[in-house]
Amino acid sequence: MLKFALKNMAIKKVQVILIIISIVLSAGVGVLAFNVSEQVSEGLTNNAGYYSAIIGPSGSATQLAMNTMYFTDEPVGTIPYSLVSELSQDSRVKEVIPFAMADNYNGFSVVGTTPAFLSAKTLAKGRMFTEGEAFEAVVGSTVAELNKLEIGDELYTSHSVGGDKHAHPLKVVGILEESHSGFDKVVFTQIKTIWQAHDHSGEHDEANIGVDLLSAGHTTEEATEQATEDGHGHVTEDGGHGDEEHEDGEHSHTSNTVCAILVKTLNPTYAMSIVNEYNGKVYMHGEDSYSLQAIEPMDTMRGVLEETDNTKYIVFVLCAIILIMNIIIISIITLLNMYHSAKEISLMRLIGISMKKINMLYLIQNSLIGLVSTALAFGISRACLVLMSDYVESMGAVLNLSKVYPLEWVILFAVFLISVIPTVICTVSMSKKDGINN
Amino acid sequence: MIEIKNLSKKFQNERAINYKDMRFEDGKSYMLLGASGCGKSTLLNMIAGILSADSGEILIDGVDMLKKTQKEKDKFRIEKIGYIFQDFKLITEMTVMDNINILRLEGVNTSAADDILRRLEMYEKKNKKIKHLSGGERQRVAIARAIVKMPDIILADEPTGNLNFEIGEAVIRQLIEISKGKTLIAVTHDDRLGKYFDCTIDMNSMIGGGENA
Repeated sequence: MLKFALKNMAIKKVQVILIIISIVLSAGVGVLAFNVSEQVSEGLTNNAGYYSAIIGPSGSATQLAMNTMYFTDEPVGTIPYSLVSELSQDSRVKEVIPFAMADNYNGFSVVGTTPAFLSAKTLAKGRMFTEGEAFEAVVGSTVAELNKLEIGDELYTSHSVGGDKHAHPLKVVGILEESHSGFDKVVFTQIKTIWQAHDHSGEHDEANIGVDLLSAGHTTEEATEQATEDGHGHVTEDGGHGDEEHEDGEHSHTSNTVCAILVKTLNPTYAMSIVNEYNGKVYMHGEDSYSLQAIEPMDTMRGVLEETDNTKYIVFVLCAIILIMNIIIISIITLLNMYHSAKEISLMRLIGISMKKINMLYLIQNSLIGLVSTALAFGISRACLVLMSDYVESMGAVLNLSKVYPLEWVILFAVFLISVIPTVICTVSMSKKDGINN
Repeated sequence: MIEIKNLSKKFQNERAINYKDMRFEDGKSYMLLGASGCGKSTLLNMIAGILSADSGEILIDGVDMLKKTQKEKDKFRIEKIGYIFQDFKLITEMTVMDNINILRLEGVNTSAADDILRRLEMYEKKNKKIKHLSGGERQRVAIARAIVKMPDIILADEPTGNLNFEIGEAVIRQLIEISKGKTLIAVTHDDRLGKYFDCTIDMNSMIGGGENA
């Protein structure tokens, strides 16, 4: 039966290929759209859940979350480092990690932080930078690969791509294992490296306008605007240096700034109370005042995703339309196929083949078509996931190619049924007629 | 033995055919001769269980075909009857062997196919597609398919209808040769082929009552 079904399919290869293409397109698009939207949502939300709270300068909560967790977008501004010390003393807090994004290395962002920020990451080579030292760097796998960096190499950062490089190089002490995330494309160093780099660079004055604005709790955009008006080409988030409180190029931590502070609390209730306490607070540091915002990153990311739900909804509606169109197309092709098969069915009936066997034959044929098509659709959707993974990674989520959601099986099964049901309808209808009249 | 008793068939245009009683002995070959539309093919189709009758009996070894359900008729046709059609009823995109092996769907043993194709001088072309064969070759494939299951009864509806006389005559000779020992009923309008059959029945005279034997 199977052999004959295969031979019969080979005869009608054009129709079979048309049906397969039609099914593959509908099922593939449906499954891919669903998988990607789910993985991106999950990935972004899960990443966000790693920290209980993020404290930064007032401004866009989304920008603060995206910048600190996915290294996208510009920092919102700066806040004094002294806040890190204050939070470290807080009994509700388990861990505090400072975060400063400044400068770049050949277009890759340079982030100043503590080794704790990379505690969940694995090193492929070398060691973690030492907290008390400066000018050591751990580089992401992409940064190392594209710049052919090895342990012991030195790299020079600059304020802007192609701009003047800082005088003091960073020594590569570690290379992160590839994680298919934003971490692959970042240079990590001690927070003090960021502060000291500017002291040694001789670009102090050049950066002052932006620095002053940021020091006063202004946002990057405002600083940039001001810098541009005054003919200065770049802005740094390091608001503390170049001012009155450093001696011989060495900063005291009380005068330095960071772009954000990542906080892990002892329990979720504490996270909520910290957010309530710091959000909207005006923090005084010396004579300067800083307007703060505090966010629960998971809530912020959920909010972002809810805002993008319309896009998700549109994708689902499009998929539904494609599926409906394909139900119609598959049904028409199958019905035409069965119409052309009527002569063949009549022939088989005349020589004595029972309608039961004929039904079985066509059911096997269309089930094979359905199975091959849905398997291909699944394979193609995974191939598309591979192609899309880089783009999705740039959004801060990692696509797991082996991840299959139950609804994907439901979509594939529905498409399989769509490919079989018209055949069943046709053959049942033909069964009701006498063989010679078909 | 096949017996036809008081058989009548009414068509949609209200035209009715009433057959005289007929009897076909086991192992003999019969040629049904008659004008177009006299009911020759209809009779074959009713014997094969493809068409139903309005009244009368078709007794095959004493069992009335007309009282069987369609499922029983199908089973009888696949097991006991080899049917050869004027238009061959072959799947043109498939090979000779595929067209014979299609019977395997109903569990028919087709192991005799090679031998039968040799006897019909078609063995060399067994893997050729039907669409690449001539009319005579196609008819021989149709005969092979009808014979391969070793049926007790062979029904041939105008087996030479689409062939010229020379080819048709050769096909009939092969059909008679290969059907020896079986009951063969062949419908044709060409009385020149009558000499090959044990018995010729003029169907024009079999409509309206009477008995052939």
